[in-house]
Amino acid sequence: MMKKTNIKPWVGYLIFGLTVFLVFCLIFESSIQLPSLVAWLGRWHPLILHFPIVLLVVAIFLGLTTNKIPKLLLVVATISALLTAISGFMLAADASEKGDLLIWHQRLGSAVAFLAVLWYVLVTLNLARTILIKVLQVVLGITIFFAGHYGGMVTHGEDFLALPTLGNKSNIIPENPLIYAHIVQPILDDKCISCHNGNKKKGELLLTNFKEIKKGGENGEIIDETDYKNSTILKLVHLPLEDENHMPPEGKPQLSISEIQILERWIALGANDTLQLSHLNSDETLVGLVRKLQQPTVKKDWSKLPEIDDEVLKNLNSNYVNITRFANQSNALNVIVFTAPTYNDSIFIELDPIAKNIVQLDLSALPLGEQAISFIAKCVNLEWLEVDKTSFTDENLEKLKGLTKLEVIKAYDTEITDKSLAVFENFKNLKKMYVAQTNITINALDAFKKEHQNISVDAGINPSIETFFVVKEKDTVAVKKEE
Amino acid sequence: MEKEKKSDSENPLKVNRRHFFSQLSVGIGSLALGSLLIPDLFKGKGEGLLGQELGIPHFAPKAKRIIYLFQAGAPSQLETFDYKPTLKKRMGEDLPESIRNGQRLTGMTSGQSKFPLMPPAVKFNQHGQSGAWVSEFFPHIAKISDEICFVKSMHTEAINHDPAITFFQTGSQQSGRPSMGSWMSYGLGNENKNLPSFVVLTSRGKGNSQGLYSKLWSSGFLDSKHQGVLLRSGKDPVLYLNDPDGLSRSDKRHLLDKVSSLNKIHHVETGDDEIESRIAQYEMAYRMQMSVPDVMDIKKEPESVIKLYGEDCQVPGTYAANALQARRLAENGVRFIQLYHQGWDQHGNLTNEMRGQAKDVDQASAALILDLKQRGMLEDTLVVWGGEFGRTNFCQGNFNPDNFGRDHHPRAFSIWMAGGGIKPGITYGKTDEFGYNVVENPVHINDFHATLMHAMGINHEELTYKYQGRRFRLTDVAGNVVKDILT
Repeated sequence: MMKKTNIKPWVGYLIFGLTVFLVFCLIFESSIQLPSLVAWLGRWHPLILHFPIVLLVVAIFLGLTTNKIPKLLLVVATISALLTAISGFMLAADASEKGDLLIWHQRLGSAVAFLAVLWYVLVTLNLARTILIKVLQVVLGITIFFAGHYGGMVTHGEDFLALPTLGNKSNIIPENPLIYAHIVQPILDDKCISCHNGNKKKGELLLTNFKEIKKGGENGEIIDETDYKNSTILKLVHLPLEDENHMPPEGKPQLSISEIQILERWIALGANDTLQLSHLNSDETLVGLVRKLQQPTVKKDWSKLPEIDDEVLKNLNSNYVNITRFANQSNALNVIVFTAPTYNDSIFIELDPIAKNIVQLDLSALPLGEQAISFIAKCVNLEWLEVDKTSFTDENLEKLKGLTKLEVIKAYDTEITDKSLAVFENFKNLKKMYVAQTNITINALDAFKKEHQNISVDAGINPSIETFFVVKEKDTVAVKKEE
Repeated sequence: MEKEKKSDSENPLKVNRRHFFSQLSVGIGSLALGSLLIPDLFKGKGEGLLGQELGIPHFAPKAKRIIYLFQAGAPSQLETFDYKPTLKKRMGEDLPESIRNGQRLTGMTSGQSKFPLMPPAVKFNQHGQSGAWVSEFFPHIAKISDEICFVKSMHTEAINHDPAITFFQTGSQQSGRPSMGSWMSYGLGNENKNLPSFVVLTSRGKGNSQGLYSKLWSSGFLDSKHQGVLLRSGKDPVLYLNDPDGLSRSDKRHLLDKVSSLNKIHHVETGDDEIESRIAQYEMAYRMQMSVPDVMDIKKEPESVIKLYGEDCQVPGTYAANALQARRLAENGVRFIQLYHQGWDQHGNLTNEMRGQAKDVDQASAALILDLKQRGMLEDTLVVWGGEFGRTNFCQGNFNPDNFGRDHHPRAFSIWMAGGGIKPGITYGKTDEFGYNVVENPVHINDFHATLMHAMGINHEELTYKYQGRRFRLTDVAGNVVKDILT
């Protein structure tokens, strides 16, 4: 084994001292306040951490290959491991919140230092039996690996080492798209080419570009221009899912109905790569299908809303005011106020700080006063407003002119009149308005509807349907006994 | 909003065997020493839900609440919305074995040597711009067919009422799992903190009916505050909610404060979360003493609304009254309102019984849609109408078109949905010409659940609860969102 070399005795004391200090760090970590200079020393952690990794790995390598390990190497490795672990604690004291990664990195890093100390102690006391020391070396090696790996993830992010994946191309369809290039190929890219590409050419069929699609696969052409219904590709997608030949195969993402319709119409129209949307007649089903794709999905731009803290929401929520985030981690808020026995407009003063975050506001059936109205006016990002069953008036609505993002207004059973229609007109994004049981006259509303066909106006149940429901021969009404 | 305990692993009372050993083995491998020095090592971390916080939707929801008009007993798809003229053409013929294809039967028809095809008991017509087929039993629903989405390709595995209805409610044929409404309450929390988030209303028609039991709206292994609250008709909608004579509201307040401080002491001692939810329930009951009578009081409804739902809606305990009540509850922020109407189990005398049943529910169901629509509530309220399975296209017993019944049939049946992110005026899925098998776009109950949750902004794969060592979902290990019916 190793023979004693001339290591000075103070080295042993240093290692002992550092070990005690590290144990102290582990136990009292949460309760110690570090002076800023000490915290600054922590910044050296990324530099010195490379020493123990290299030195210990070299020592382990020498040990496992039954070479002699110079005692000095072990000493320097152990001291550097201790210093690294301690500086790590100092660095972590800077971090505001410890994630799981950091906690594991700390534990494993400390374990590396302790194992190194143990190794040193065993060697110094000549207690090192070959098998014991080998086990120690292996365990230490594994611990170093994981400690280093977690540390790397803390600095570089968890997916730094993840394998590269094919990025999701953002798919913006131009105003007048080429049917093949902008519509059909993206569908194939999405659902088919995972098996029909250059690397994995199932059935000798490539669906990655127009030429190859026309060429077909081992069973010949997949598109029949003369009789589109006879096209192999359409036959296969129409087979029942259980059928062995159904495409895409069971278990893979399936084509949606509209995707199948798009394929079908494209082939029916000759399956060429020059066809553009503007070439089609407006009654062609493909036009509708494409227009639908062009509509932006409902993803709203809520990312610019001010940050809002969970604690703030928690404090503002009460038994009669319900404030929720619109979705996980979104800053868009949905606020509902219910009628409390002691309702008073002043509740809106508290809500002032979150006004810009409110996207949906439900104030139905509340005795709204001036304070409430001026609060609504401050909710500049409001998209959805419910003031139904209130004494909401034209003057009130006038004050909300600035809410340009409004899409839905529920103002039925209020006191608004024809005058309000001019304000509704000004909401450029308005899609739906509910104005039944108001003082708006039928004539004015009809004129409004005619002029603004993009706004869906609901003024109550269609009278012809309502008559069907309401007018009944009385004798058909069976009244049951109360049970 | 109330933050719930994310998982039972945070509860010091619930360190289970698997948890203990998993922590132990990690400890041995890397930090035998460290584990002795870090006292909370065995407590575990990051065991909560998969990156999801309770009380908040996973993504922006289309629907904020659901009204489920459950037709208990299973109305026949062949007399409601799935029109099959072939049955008339081939009336009395035996159901071809190629179609039946080994389908198991209930004890009520398994003895039959013949399965004579029985035509629909009622005429069908097409309605609205969508041209939806609706039977003459449902003239009012026919009027609103452009507002709703018919799903004609529902299928289930169960062929008897109890497992089938349990499957629909809880995602499992065996009882014990939380009900759909409880899952929604667990995932989204209360909208109105003064009312339960899951409410149940029941009514009974004159047709042959099957039992309903409170297990259908139980919260299973979820916190008991997510349980459905049955509102009864009549004087006391919620039993034992009212204070006894002589107890004033301020006395009651005083009492609750004292009881709650005692309970809190006990909670600190034991760490049992059920104590916290008990405190919360006492408080909610106190507020419900005010809110429930207010919501249940339909006297404030104008004459026009009463006429819309039909005069029946003034009689407490009828389906029509419950439908109107459902709208009032939805307006007041109840997340999941479950109606049950019993009496749809037509093994015999189908024509007469179904006519009666349809009369109970037709106008009120359609009125509910119209009423929600004029209030703009159809934007964010999802209404579902349907039973637990379908019925056979052959008759039960001997062939007699004048008086016949249909047995249970799990392979295909129809339901409809409206509002809350569902495409209006469409029909989804198709059955074969016999109305026996689904031939296009099948929708399994798990898919149905996944779709409802999606509309409510919940990813059905992420809303889980860990119980007895594994995570449970409403859809358990299955379910695909039916994207084609979503707007």
